[in-house]
Amino acid sequence: MIETFFGNNALAGSTAMLAALAIGLAFGFALERAGFGSSRRLAGIFYLRDMAVLKVMFTAVIVAMLGLLYARGLGWIDAEQLFFMPSIYGAQIAGGLILGVGFVVGAWCPGTAAVGLASGRWDAAVFLGGTVLGSILFNEMFGLLKGLYAWGDSGVQFAWQSLGMSAASFAAIFVLVAIGCFWGAEYIERRVAGTGVYWRSPFLKAFSVAMVVLAVGLLAIDGGSPTTEKPTPHAPSEAALLAQIAEAKDHMEPEELADRIMAAEAGLFLVDIRPAEEFEAFNIRGAVNIEMAGLPAALAPYKNRGLIVLYSNGMTHPAQARDALARMGYANVYMLTDGLEGFRERVLKPASLRTEPLSIKQTAQINSWRHYFMGDAKAPAATPVAQLPLSLPTSPKLPGLVEPAWLAGNLGKKDVRVLDVRQQPLYNTAHIQGSVCVSPEHFRGVVGGVSSMLLPSDVLARHMSLLGIRPTDTVVIVPDDKPHDATLVSMAFARLGHSRYGILNGGFARWTAEKHAVTKDLPAVEPSDYPIGSPDRFTVDYRQVREHLDRKDTVIIDVRPTEFYTGQKIEEARGGHIPGAKNRPYTEDVTTVGGVTLLRSIDDLANAYARLIPSKDMKVIVHCRTGHQASQTFFVIRNLLGYSNVLWYDGGWSEWSARSELPAVQEKGGK
Amino acid sequence: MNEQLPKNDSPKPYMNPYLAGVLLGLTLLASYLILGAGLGASGGIARLSAWVEGCILPSHTKSSEYFGAWGGKPLNYYLVFMLAGVFLGGLFSAVLARRVKSQVERGRRTSRRLRVALALIGGVLAGFASRLAQGCTSGQALSGSAMLLSGSLVFLICVFAGGYAAAWLVRRQWHD
Repeated sequence: MIETFFGNNALAGSTAMLAALAIGLAFGFALERAGFGSSRRLAGIFYLRDMAVLKVMFTAVIVAMLGLLYARGLGWIDAEQLFFMPSIYGAQIAGGLILGVGFVVGAWCPGTAAVGLASGRWDAAVFLGGTVLGSILFNEMFGLLKGLYAWGDSGVQFAWQSLGMSAASFAAIFVLVAIGCFWGAEYIERRVAGTGVYWRSPFLKAFSVAMVVLAVGLLAIDGGSPTTEKPTPHAPSEAALLAQIAEAKDHMEPEELADRIMAAEAGLFLVDIRPAEEFEAFNIRGAVNIEMAGLPAALAPYKNRGLIVLYSNGMTHPAQARDALARMGYANVYMLTDGLEGFRERVLKPASLRTEPLSIKQTAQINSWRHYFMGDAKAPAATPVAQLPLSLPTSPKLPGLVEPAWLAGNLGKKDVRVLDVRQQPLYNTAHIQGSVCVSPEHFRGVVGGVSSMLLPSDVLARHMSLLGIRPTDTVVIVPDDKPHDATLVSMAFARLGHSRYGILNGGFARWTAEKHAVTKDLPAVEPSDYPIGSPDRFTVDYRQVREHLDRKDTVIIDVRPTEFYTGQKIEEARGGHIPGAKNRPYTEDVTTVGGVTLLRSIDDLANAYARLIPSKDMKVIVHCRTGHQASQTFFVIRNLLGYSNVLWYDGGWSEWSARSELPAVQEKGGK
Repeated sequence: MNEQLPKNDSPKPYMNPYLAGVLLGLTLLASYLILGAGLGASGGIARLSAWVEGCILPSHTKSSEYFGAWGGKPLNYYLVFMLAGVFLGGLFSAVLARRVKSQVERGRRTSRRLRVALALIGGVLAGFASRLAQGCTSGQALSGSAMLLSGSLVFLICVFAGGYAAAWLVRRQWHD
């Protein structure tokens, strides 16, 4: 796999500068060889006497295009490693037309003028001076041009996509058009200037055939798959961001920030850069605390993605941080106008203390801000809009949930392992770099005549060894839209006494929604030697459950859908439920926000379970039909809510109902 | 290579344009595979412009919306280094081929003043346009088209449309 400076976020480093210098040398050499150190030759294309510009440029375009498509098709390079410019049609059409006029008037373009200067052409020096003036002119007029600069911004767009064809077939047509142009150019030169020396030459025939062969080869390696796969678009594009920043002068007003936070705007990342103790004392709701020194590392996943707002008490520190970040290439960093002081004064200050006259609407607005940010109960609440915010790169508390942004920043570390528990075809099309595809069923089998039981720890240890997992590894489990697939796998780690495992919060859907990189490559896995350990203390069998029936110190929770709990629906030996069991369907612990399925917020879950379970150290037995759904409830109450005595009846209703000696309750109306 | 034996001091003939195109295309490909981004010239010139304006009007430039975003050291950018490379690579090739010649290139019947004036006007237009479109013939037309980006292909077509539309007006600078 090829890794580029852009892909490694190292384009601003000194090695990249040297590489750029070397590539520039080759670039200048090629331009000069082509004769582009001469303005007369460059202008020739516009008077049809010397078509070299067309021949050289079109050849270069198709050669690089074929090279790129081969590199992508053969899997040498990922789309994430390449910078794709956005299509901003208005700016590109206007810019293209003006540049074309400048090209024919000045008879140079910026790159060729540099070569012209090297060749001793004074007109090139003057032209270059003009480009500097033109750039400064643009800077001075930027205020007026912002609209045009971002006009028609459509993000990354490919011509083949717009035409609904595959890249390879578009490329083949493009090559044929190029060859047609080459022959046309030779013919025109022959007629107009009496040159066109390659017209019907063996060279041009061979060259044309070679290009066609390369294009056909591309179709062949591409033939298997209808390649509509697109690289991650860089949205919002830099142009739009720059324009936004320019318009807002990279400040965000307190009122605007308050409204954006309350609207749960996706991609808004509010950072408090004060010392931790000040943050603890008071902070704007929704903010994370990252001190100045930690900013570059913590913000890396949000570079030019979404909106970063910095605040401190005043403005000095955020401004310094913003400048430093801008130099590192961040174009999406804002700072809160007048800092926390301004926020207090303009957002949080009660209407009653304000000197300016307020309309009813303004008073209501202030009340809703105060309600949201200060929990002021007297102020009526506003309805927040449901949208998933970008995850934060906070270190996970394990076992527990892992934020995508944290994983993105820690991927590739030797002790961070990712298990993808989605279906294999989904994994095959795209997955997190280095992740291993493993089905949740991989860890279950027949134990003691009961099917779908979590395998004993010696077998699990063997599985972990094959997966190359070591006891000290941090394991991140990635589900699709079913968190309980991940929690089932997490039971294997719990059984082995593995301490550092977690579930990717929001699963793969959130990973891609946040535009983190994906790949199709198989991971490198080196088998390990995972120790077996002692049996777990949380799995119970039917005998232990029977002993706990009707006991005041134990809560049994049946997490199956309610119709199975009541016995209206039966897929087992008997319908109904274990006497005394409470029903809390596992589906009630998950929610879907913006197309991403994830566990509900800790607050919601804590409230729900506080109603079911009187105290956190009480014995809780969770079960479902086969142990799968109950693994989610187990994970939630033990790992996320901190209940200390949670037991898992793996055999579940499928075993209980089949043992006719065990008691069961069927509610009235059941079958 | 289309090379004949030239006289010792006369410029060598240009390279076969298709082979020069292959060379240029491979350079562009290398740029993508190494840097992850394509070739560019006007980006370096714009940085240079920001530096020039910063030397003359430091506080104004720093607070300007467009150049100001590049911070206090606008030259610290890979495209500035690439532009330096273009000049040096061009110089190397031109010296090898004995094509370095101090002159204002123009038609024999054209005054030097007209040619220089047109070069200046063309330069201003090109510099301005390349900022508007975020790239010039190298960064947009060549690099973007090789990626088959829709906007870059549209840009390429517009460059030639603009060029051909204005060609007749400035034809006199090449009259022999």
